[in-house]
Amino acid sequence: MSTSTPASFGPLTRTDIVRYAGASTDFNPMHHDDEFARATGMPSVFAHGMLSAGLLASHLEAWVGDGRILSFQVRFAAQVWPGDTLVPRLEVVDRDGPRTRLEIALERTEGGAAVTGTALVELDQKQEQQ
Amino acid sequence: MVGRGGPEYEFVVEAGKVREFATAVRSPRAGEQVPTTFPAYAASALETFDVVEAAGLDIRRVLHGEQAYDYARPLRVGNRLRCSSTVTSDEVKQGRRGGSMRVLTLATEMVDATTGELVVTCRARVIETGGAQ
Repeated sequence: MSTSTPASFGPLTRTDIVRYAGASTDFNPMHHDDEFARATGMPSVFAHGMLSAGLLASHLEAWVGDGRILSFQVRFAAQVWPGDTLVPRLEVVDRDGPRTRLEIALERTEGGAAVTGTALVELDQKQEQQ
Repeated sequence: MVGRGGPEYEFVVEAGKVREFATAVRSPRAGEQVPTTFPAYAASALETFDVVEAAGLDIRRVLHGEQAYDYARPLRVGNRLRCSSTVTSDEVKQGRRGGSMRVLTLATEMVDATTGELVVTCRARVIETGGAQ
């Protein structure tokens, strides 16, 4: 079993959220319009779940390097708010030659997992030693 | 709603959009390779089937529960993909704190328009919370 050294993302800013809104074209006002979000009962805007998924995928991509990501699946466990710092975690749970299965998560330093999931990757020869 | 879906749509993987998306999610894959969650852009920008509208969901109670991508081969800049989405499950489940929730799964297949080969399958689980006890 191996766990990568966590990097971290954050503190997350409204600009980060807006940048993702533009990049993904997801303009759900819950993510960029504080007045709208508060009117539905939220304390403020919160980040797109898929932004968290993207950050976690990026951490996995850095670990995999030139290898391939065969499958990536995540469950959205908790909202991520402006000001949050997010720590990615990867844990190898199974290996079959270059094929490696990992449990993955993005955790909020404020407490709890924002995103949990699994990934199946195919490492290239240089990384099989990881 | 199982079996319902929308018309095919085309998704072109463009270099500029890949770079912009990679910046937004801090991905090292900004050219030769494409960020793993890049199909989320297509889902938002191009998807022809609005599952929220089709299923009569209350958008204020809708959550994105899960998302999965299964890659038969990597996406590349320049790829032209034919995409279509279908509802593959639609269930009412009991919530942990009582009450019910409706859970739908939308599966999207993206096929290389030039070769016909399947490139990526996307699976989104959408949850409408609350509802009658």
